[in-house]
Amino acid sequence: MTKRLLLVLFSFALVVAACTSSEDTTTTTAGVSDTTTTTEAPAATTTTAAPVAAVCPSETGGGTVVIGTTDAIASLDPADAYAVRDWEVLKNFGEPLLKWVPGSADQLQLGIAESMPVPSEDGLTWTVTLREGLLFGDGTPITAELVATQLTRLLTISETGPNQVGLTLGNPYVDSIEAVDDRTLQFNLPAPIAFFLQLLASASYIPANPATFPEDELNVFPTPPLTGTGPWIVTEIVTDESMTLEPNPNYHGDQPKIDRVIVRQFADPQSMALAVQSGEIDIAWRILGAELANELGEIDGLNSVVVPSGPIRYLIINHVLEPTNDPNVRKAIASVIDRDELSDVIFGGAVDPLFSQVPPGFLGATEAFEDLYGSPDLDAARAFLEASGYSEDNKLVLPVWYPPEHYGATTADGVLLVVQQLEATGMIEVTIHAQEWGTYVGALTSGEDYPVGVLGWFYDFPDPENYLQPFIENGGLGTMVTAKDGPITPGVSEELLTLLTASRIETDIDARAAILEDLQAVYADEVVTVPLWIEPEFIVYRDGICGDASLPNPQTLNIGGTMEFSYSVIGTDGS
Amino acid sequence: MHPLVLTFLIFGIPALIGLTWVFLRGSSGLRSYILTRIALTIPMILILATVVFLVMRIIPGDPITSALGPKGTAEIKERFAEQHGLNDPLAVQYGRFVADVFTLDFGNSLIGSQRPIVDELGERLPATLEMVIPATLLALGLGVFLGTRAGVRRKSATDYGSRIFSVMIYAMPIFWLGLLFQLIFGVWLGWTPIAGRIDPSIPLERTTNLLIIDSIITANWVALRSVLAHLVLPTLTLGLVLSGVFLRLTRINVIETGQEDYVAAARARGIDQGTITRRYSLKNAMIPVITLIGLQVAILLAGAVLTETVFAWPGMGRYLIQRILARDFTAVQSVIVFFALFVAVISLAVDILYSVLDPRVRY
Repeated sequence: MTKRLLLVLFSFALVVAACTSSEDTTTTTAGVSDTTTTTEAPAATTTTAAPVAAVCPSETGGGTVVIGTTDAIASLDPADAYAVRDWEVLKNFGEPLLKWVPGSADQLQLGIAESMPVPSEDGLTWTVTLREGLLFGDGTPITAELVATQLTRLLTISETGPNQVGLTLGNPYVDSIEAVDDRTLQFNLPAPIAFFLQLLASASYIPANPATFPEDELNVFPTPPLTGTGPWIVTEIVTDESMTLEPNPNYHGDQPKIDRVIVRQFADPQSMALAVQSGEIDIAWRILGAELANELGEIDGLNSVVVPSGPIRYLIINHVLEPTNDPNVRKAIASVIDRDELSDVIFGGAVDPLFSQVPPGFLGATEAFEDLYGSPDLDAARAFLEASGYSEDNKLVLPVWYPPEHYGATTADGVLLVVQQLEATGMIEVTIHAQEWGTYVGALTSGEDYPVGVLGWFYDFPDPENYLQPFIENGGLGTMVTAKDGPITPGVSEELLTLLTASRIETDIDARAAILEDLQAVYADEVVTVPLWIEPEFIVYRDGICGDASLPNPQTLNIGGTMEFSYSVIGTDGS
Repeated sequence: MHPLVLTFLIFGIPALIGLTWVFLRGSSGLRSYILTRIALTIPMILILATVVFLVMRIIPGDPITSALGPKGTAEIKERFAEQHGLNDPLAVQYGRFVADVFTLDFGNSLIGSQRPIVDELGERLPATLEMVIPATLLALGLGVFLGTRAGVRRKSATDYGSRIFSVMIYAMPIFWLGLLFQLIFGVWLGWTPIAGRIDPSIPLERTTNLLIIDSIITANWVALRSVLAHLVLPTLTLGLVLSGVFLRLTRINVIETGQEDYVAAARARGIDQGTITRRYSLKNAMIPVITLIGLQVAILLAGAVLTETVFAWPGMGRYLIQRILARDFTAVQSVIVFFALFVAVISLAVDILYSVLDPRVRY
């Protein structure tokens, strides 16, 4: 009982954080099928925070499962949606050409494609054949012409929406999409790209039903029923309250095991925790936080599990503003970060330290920062600072900025510990500045105001490109290693751009891995950013709810490295 | 019919009838006062709208940056600003906003669903009213009852107990009390739902978005039971916290009126204490309480954000906070204009009630 009261008291901090927190994230998903291919995306590794319930017998299922979330819906048009929750819903009522095996982030399966896409010799066109007899959930036949028209929305009308996702995931990579015949599609690319299959598995490449999503107009808040190519139909949406999904009888693959899913919206993780405890919801998914999830894991009848993926946290280091325009200052900062201490003190050892901007498991991922700077090395940091004329009497004054409410209490605590680590050199005096997210993020990423600030990131598609390119090109989200209009900043290694371009077009996996390793070494040497840790995500569910034991990570209800939650795999024990 | 219009009809028609009745039966001074107050509402709202319009543009940040964070590139921001006229001169933007206000259009939200703001208000205002009205009634009933007893039995155990209760309950953080109730009544005892307005598995046709009324007009008694069950904890939480201030105000006014000559005269005539309290003390003590009701209801329309957050209640308070943080200029401007209208109507009603309750008040 004391523990439960403590749980309530702990809510003081969490409630405030919950009002505003939202992750800077986007994901890609997939589905089920005949052919599977392994990509260079990360293999799933799983940590469990509590004893895990046994998976359900395969013959059981049925009933309604209620999922709680604090993530709000922002847009449900595939040509506009650009957030984790939106993509989760889209991938349950829609299905792209390819999809990830639930629970994995390295195994692509066929979605509505009949076979894996085939590239031309020059890599500039990809051809893909659709399954035969495909129907949207409302019975509308699906032809290659229709899919080409609907996917082209990403390239043509996405820019009229609030998220303009086409500018990020469409236009830079695809020139046009055309139908070759009734079942064959052709993608024309401006340049070859190594990660085209991952891109095709993203929610942006789901063909939307023209009955709801017209060819020439976005519909970011469509009225149910929402039918698509996926295993579910969205039958009801009550704004800020709930969403109901029922199986799509026209889905080409296996039918879901349960009869209905209700997703309930919470504003506060503590209320969601109490709801899963009381049985009002069956699953609490995003965003609970480590302490709350661990508390729930100790309650009989509940299972709390760490999902093998999550957003990363890192420091943006501005290469133009003083004092971080000095390479010695940047290297001193990189040398003092003790990631193991961050993990132990802030998360009780529950998070993985991050030694490169590309997390472990991705193709070519290294530990470049540990290799170059140690973990930590205060003597080296002092040497770098002395080389630039700083001393204990002439300290480096370093402004560090962070948004205290946006990422929740743990990230804020992490930043404060980083400050302590910097000041442990005795030669750095940190001036710490907290600022509300709306103001902070614009000022930091514009590159015009803040030398050092903390940010979070989760990939749009699971490839190292999406962990490196955003921080290098077009101002690099405030790193300013390049100017906004493209050229490299004077004094920064040109190799950043040449290696990035090479890694993007190299299709041989081994050769690409080698390029990526070199790129991370240059990235660390330039201290483009300072990677800190991988923030864990948790799922909590009641006994009687289970995942699919034949797929990876059943203990997380088959949520893997892509953080995609396929409601089709949820089973019940029939109780 | 739009839920917002229905909500206005449900609450507005009785208010309009009352106002007409007072207007027709009142003195010429009162009629003149009412007309003046209504006329003053227009410049008041314009001034407020102008201030909000300017403040939203002075504070740093923009909708795209707030929504997409580091993924909101300069190109995306520029296109967004162009599409939504945010690059237009301030005067042009202001003119557009004022025109929207006068046509009661309010435009579309800038972020997320980009739906018409009147649609978003049509979902959230009824939710807020459905929670705030019963909570205020509970607060008023409990506060006046305990406050009167404490005032009449001054320095008794009842008085001390009530005073301690009022201070404790008012000082208690509302979200903490809400979570405590959720834990006790929802988790341990299993008597009430934890959060939400209705069990989402129960189908209910929403016409007014006032779920009690929607349940009744569709004779959906299962839904009605669920709606009432979901109302218990938010009403209890908000009502109890508010009751503290009503209790203290009633108590002190009952004590003060109890010392008036007319009360002493009543006692001298042998009228029993219950009648004195009801007919003399309480009626006069209620004037400041009515002022407080008006203020509280106006504040709660946007100020019940913590209660709404804890109980996953999709009301106006949460909406306003979300939109401020997201720099959704049009939504914030519109909601504040909307509140200003409400506050103006409520304060007019309170002023009129003064004249009904207190014959000394003349306009």
